Amino acid sequence: MEISPLAGAPMKGLLRLYPRWWRERYGREMEVLVDELPSRTGVALDLLLGAAMAYAFVIRENRILSAAGAYLHGVCVAVLLQAIGFVLLILYSERWPGGVNTDVALGPFHFAAVMWPIDFFGPRSLTQAQVTRWLPLDWLPAIGLLVVLVATLVVVMTAPRLLRTSR
Amino acid sequence: MRRLSAAVSLVLLSLLAVAVAQASLVALILLFSAVLKLNLTIELGLHYLHLSLPAAPYRPEVAVYNAGSIASVVFTAAGGAVAATWKFRRWRAPR
Repeated sequence: MEISPLAGAPMKGLLRLYPRWWRERYGREMEVLVDELPSRTGVALDLLLGAAMAYAFVIRENRILSAAGAYLHGVCVAVLLQAIGFVLLILYSERWPGGVNTDVALGPFHFAAVMWPIDFFGPRSLTQAQVTRWLPLDWLPAIGLLVVLVATLVVVMTAPRLLRTSR
Repeated sequence: MRRLSAAVSLVLLSLLAVAVAQASLVALILLFSAVLKLNLTIELGLHYLHLSLPAAPYRPEVAVYNAGSIASVVFTAAGGAVAATWKFRRWRAPR
């Protein structure tokens, strides 16, 4: 298959994403290789992944950059843990039909609270509340969010190890 | 002077990272409130940020107080600081 040099121009642009030392060392031969490859999404993804790996290598080589990367990683994990805590708080307050008022406090400091309205004659009558207790339809969205958040946390926690091993 | 500017840059970048992380957390909480049909109130100093859903009247109200916001910022910054310190002390040059 004949590929015009212009067809590979956007792909060559992706090579600019690589670190300078990498471009100086491998840039020429990579440009030739990219010219020979078809302009496909898979190739673009490969190039993007390669750039990420090259930067990961640069970061691993430098102590300060490694610590900075770890800082960002720690911040991400902290945010995910807080999001999980928020969903768990909602689930905990739904442990009884009609909900339970829940207060997160430490001594005189009140951090957060979940307050349920009192509605004896509303849609949450006792019978309906008991039914929904056994059919946990109210919990499903929260459980779904919790599963997504825990899966994301697992990915974020294992990502540095995976990047280290997949050289 | 060079050390000082490096230290100031480090502090500013870490503060920026925490600010972006907190903004993401607020966005996540707003999204969760919409998905779980919650009435959300976030206390910001003397002001309150209130998000209510008129279509779902019988839903709980979740309130995040000032202490919760401050604790959240401290927890996020501490998470980053602990991870960075751990990495800095245990760093070894790759072979």
